[in-house]
Amino acid sequence: MNISDNIFDVIVVGGGHAGIEAVLAAERMGCSVMLITAKYSRIGEMSCNPAIGGIAKGTLVREIDSLDGSMGKAADATRLHFRMLNRRKGPAVWGPRVQSDAAAYSLFQRKNLAKKGICIIQDEVTALEGHTEKPEGIRCRKNGVIYGRTVVLAVGTFLRGRLFRGQSKWRGGRIGDIAADNLEEDIRRRLFHVERFKTGTPARIVRASVDTSDLSIQESEKIDFRFSLDRSDLPIKHEICYLAKTNRNTMMAAKEYLHLSPLLAGRIDGIGPRYCPSYEDKVVKFPEREQHNIYVEPMGHRSRMFYLNGLSSSLPEEAQEKMVRTLPGFKKAVIADYGYAVEYSFIHYTEITDALRLRRTENVFVAGQMCGTSGYEEAAAQGLLAGANAARVVKGVQQLTPSRSNSYLGVMIDDIVSKGTDEPYRLFSSRAENRLYIRQDNADRRLYEFGRSLGVLSERKLLQLEVNINEAAEIEKILKKSIIDGCKAVLWCRRPGAEAERLVELIPMLSSFSRDTIFSVILDEKYSGYIKRSMKRDESRRRASSVNLSNITSYMEINEICWEAREMLEKAKPHTLADAEKIPGIRPTDLEGLLLYLAGKRSTWNSSI
Amino acid sequence: MRIKVSPEIICAPATPEGYSALAVIRVSGKGSFDLIERIMSLKTGRLRGTRRKLGIISENGEVIDEVIAFSWPAGRSYTGEEMVEITCHGVPEIVRRIMDVLLRHGAEKADKGEFTRRAFMSGKLNAIQIMALASIWNEGRETGNISGRFNRECEEFIVLIEKAKELLEGDIEFGESHLDSERTVIIKELSSLLKASEILVQRAGSIEAGQKVFLMGPFNSGKSTLFNILTGGKALVSDIPGTTRDGTRRNIEIRGRKIILCDTAGTGGKGLDLQASKAVLDEILEFDKVVWLSQDGKEKPPEELSRKSPEILEVASKCDLNPDSKQTFGDHSEIRKLSSVTGEGIPLIEEWISTSPGNMSLAGAVDRIVKHILKAEEFVIGDEFGIASEHLNEAEREIRSVLGKGENLTLSVERALSSMCVGK
Repeated sequence: MNISDNIFDVIVVGGGHAGIEAVLAAERMGCSVMLITAKYSRIGEMSCNPAIGGIAKGTLVREIDSLDGSMGKAADATRLHFRMLNRRKGPAVWGPRVQSDAAAYSLFQRKNLAKKGICIIQDEVTALEGHTEKPEGIRCRKNGVIYGRTVVLAVGTFLRGRLFRGQSKWRGGRIGDIAADNLEEDIRRRLFHVERFKTGTPARIVRASVDTSDLSIQESEKIDFRFSLDRSDLPIKHEICYLAKTNRNTMMAAKEYLHLSPLLAGRIDGIGPRYCPSYEDKVVKFPEREQHNIYVEPMGHRSRMFYLNGLSSSLPEEAQEKMVRTLPGFKKAVIADYGYAVEYSFIHYTEITDALRLRRTENVFVAGQMCGTSGYEEAAAQGLLAGANAARVVKGVQQLTPSRSNSYLGVMIDDIVSKGTDEPYRLFSSRAENRLYIRQDNADRRLYEFGRSLGVLSERKLLQLEVNINEAAEIEKILKKSIIDGCKAVLWCRRPGAEAERLVELIPMLSSFSRDTIFSVILDEKYSGYIKRSMKRDESRRRASSVNLSNITSYMEINEICWEAREMLEKAKPHTLADAEKIPGIRPTDLEGLLLYLAGKRSTWNSSI
Repeated sequence: MRIKVSPEIICAPATPEGYSALAVIRVSGKGSFDLIERIMSLKTGRLRGTRRKLGIISENGEVIDEVIAFSWPAGRSYTGEEMVEITCHGVPEIVRRIMDVLLRHGAEKADKGEFTRRAFMSGKLNAIQIMALASIWNEGRETGNISGRFNRECEEFIVLIEKAKELLEGDIEFGESHLDSERTVIIKELSSLLKASEILVQRAGSIEAGQKVFLMGPFNSGKSTLFNILTGGKALVSDIPGTTRDGTRRNIEIRGRKIILCDTAGTGGKGLDLQASKAVLDEILEFDKVVWLSQDGKEKPPEELSRKSPEILEVASKCDLNPDSKQTFGDHSEIRKLSSVTGEGIPLIEEWISTSPGNMSLAGAVDRIVKHILKAEEFVIGDEFGIASEHLNEAEREIRSVLGKGENLTLSVERALSSMCVGK
C-alpha cells in the first residue's frame, strides 16, 4: 500500500516528547495516525538533561499519566536516581524528579509506539498541503504529499534551527539533525506570526576521565517512587549523581572568551530562557559570584558519559575545555560532545487557541517548543492535548481545554495562549493560583473528569482512576467519622507531620487502603481551608470572565471611568471583565464604572425592544 | 445578558467610620440568614422572611454588642439576594469586632460598591438609579481617599511583602540549585517585614485613639481663634502676640471623628517661646496633621516641620482684613483662605481635619496583616512553604484593599529570577 493513497485521521510531525504523546493520544481515541520524524533512532530523545520531573514539572508528569500518556511510564521504567525535591518544604510543593537512562528512555518509547502499531515514516516535512484555512495534509521531501484530516506540528527546535558554538554557526535542529527550513518558510508564507527563541545545552564529558572522588555525592532516595499508576515490577537500576562547584578560575576562563560568545556578540537574536541561563550568562549577570552548583549526572546506566547540569555554554571548544577543567576532579576531563546554543522559530501566542489549534486553520495543531515553551514535560503535556483535540476534530466534536484552577496543564495552556511569553516558557509552581490543591499526589483525582470528557482514557486507565477515586472517597468518609485523642480525625490531619502509616495505626480500619491515597486525603484535609478560599476567589474570577466586553467599541467615551483607565482599556481592548481586571493600573472603581456603563446600555437595549 | 448572582456572602459596614449613635453592617448573599442566626445564637429560621430580631453577638463568650438584625428574603432586598442589616452601636471598635466575627464565619469583605453591583446584576436597580448612585460614588472617590503619606507607606510595605514573596517563591522553585537562599534568610526577611508593619500598627492605633491635629504658625496668626471656633470653647485670646505660651489641647469630635486638637505657641519667638515651640516640634509624630496659619499666607512652614513630614494644610488667616488677598492667592490651591470673623474657610478646615487616613477597617486590616505575616513565619519554620506563601498573599491582599487597589497578585516569577542565579 502506498501511503499517499491513504487519508490519515491525524498526522503528527515530530517524534519528540510532544509528538509521541500526540500520536498515542489520537491512537487511543480510535484515529488512524501517522508519525513523521527526521530520524527514527532519535524518537523520544532527551536532547538536553537526562532527567524527568522537578517542581511543578513532576506534577505535570503525573497529570500526563492520569490522562493515560506515556511519559510517566517511560520515566519509571528507565530511572536511575530519584529525589523528591522540596522534601522539607511541605507536600504542597513537592516535586518528584528522576534521572533517566537517556538511551533506554528513547528505546522504551520506540518500543511503545511499535507495540501500538503506529505507522512511522522517516522524512522531512517541507510544507502544509492546501489552503491555510484547511490544509489537506503535509508535503514531504521523499514521500511527497501525505493526506490527513488533521495535522499536529511538534517539531521542537527544528523550525529553521541554527546551531552556534563560538564563532561557528551551522544549520540544524539539534546536533546531528537537519533543520526544517522549508517548513518554516511555508509557515511564514502563510503569514503566521513567527518569532525566534534560543536555548542551549552543556558539554558531555567522558566519564572515565573524571575523578569522582573529589566530588560530593548526591544519593538517590531509597523509595520505590512511581510517576505512573501502573505499578508493574521494574528492574531498578541505580546511579549516583555528583555535585561540583565552579570557582574563580572557571569564571576567568569564561571571561577570557566572552567576546566569542555568539549570544553576547549579538550573533543570536532569539531570546533565551532566563531561568536556564548558559554559564557565560551567569558570569555576566552575577560577576560577584564565583561559585555555582554544577550537577554531574550520568547519561545512562553505566553510561560512558556525564551531563554537566549548570554549565550550558556556546563558547568555542577551547573555552569549554578550559572551563570544564577548572572543576575539581575534572583536571583531565575529556569532552565527548561540546555544548552549543540553538536558535529556532516558534509561533506567536496570538495564533494559537486554547485547544492548541492554529487559530486560522480548522485542523492544524501545535505543541511543545513551537508554542514557545521549554522542557520535556511541558512539551509532552501539550502534545497529549493537541493530539486529543485533533482526534476530536476528526470526530466532529468540540475541542476542549482544561481549567487553570485544577491542573498545571490548564495553568500552562492558559498562560501561553492568553499572555504569551517573552522567553521560553517554563512551568513554575507559583504560576498556579491553586497551588495547595494542584499537587503531585492527587493528579488522578483532579484530571479524571477532564480526561473522561476529552475521551483520551483507555478502559484500563479509566478503571485505574475510578478505583483511586472511590478509595479516596471511602477514606474520607471513614476519616470524617473518626475520632483521634478526643479530637476529630480531620483535625489530626492538620498537624505537622501527619502521615499515612501513623493514621493507619490510629484508625486500623484504614489498613486495607493504599498508603498513597491515604496520604493524599490527609493532605486534602490539611489544606482544605486554604483550598476553599482559593476556590472562592477562582469563582469570582470566573464570574468576572462571564461579563463580555467585546461589544464596547470605544472606551474613550465611557464617562463612568477615569481618563487614565479609559486609555489603558482602549489600548488593551479586554474581552471580558476578568481581562480588564488583569490590566495593571485598572482599579476596582473603574471596573464598577464599566459595569454601570454596561447596565446603562442594557436598559437602552431593553427599552428599544 | 443575565449574570448569575454569586453564592458567596459579602459583608461591609454601611455607615461611615467614626463615633455615632448607631452603625449598620450589611450582609448579603445566599446563606446570610443562617450565618446571622448562628452568630446571634437565634433559632434556625428566625430571620427567614422580612424580620427584625434583637440579639447578642459575642466572641469567645465575651459580649461584643447587643444588636438588631433586619432581614429581607431573596428577591425583595436591595441586592436581590438574601440580605441582613445588623444595627449595632456606633463605636468603631464594635463594628470592627462584628466584622471580624462575620469574616471568621465565612463571609467575605465586600469590595467597594459590591452591594450595588449585585443589585444591578440581579436586576434590582435600573440604569437611572445606578447612574445617580455612580455620581455619588464619584464624589466620594475624591474625598474618601486615604492620605498621600499613608498611601506611600502602604506602597512601601507592598514592596517589602513582594520582596519576601520573591525570596520564598524562589526557594520553592529553585531551592535545589540555589543553596544560598535558605530558610534562615527567608525568616530574616519576614522578621523585618514584621518590623516594618509596626508603622502601620502605630498609625492604626493613633486613628483608634483619635488623631492629633496641631494648629501652628507665627505669633498672632489666629491659631487660638480657630481653636476656639473648632472646640466651641474658650482659649485665652488677645491681640497681643505670644498670649498662648503653653499649648492647650482638647478632645473634640468633628464630623463623627475623634480628634485631639492642639493649640500651640507661635513660632519664631525667643527664650521660653522658642522652647515651647521646640517642644511641640518634638511631639509631632509623622502621621499627625498640622494646620499652618499665617496672615494672608505670607509665611511658609519652617523646614524642621516639613522635614518631619506630617500632613500640613497651609492657611491664609485673617483674610477679611485684606480683601486683596483674593487676587494674590485666589488660584493657589495649596493655600486655603480663612476668616474667623466671616467664617470663610471653616468648613473646609473641618473637612480636612476629619478626613481620616485609612478606612473603616484599617485597624482590623492591619491586625490581620500582622497575623498573616506571623503565620507565614510559623509555616516557614514548620516546613510548609506553600501555606506560608498563601499567608503572604493574604497580607498583600489586605494591604491592597486598604489602598483600594485591585488584586494584582500574579507574582512575577521572572522578576524573582532576575535577582537569583539559577538553572542548568
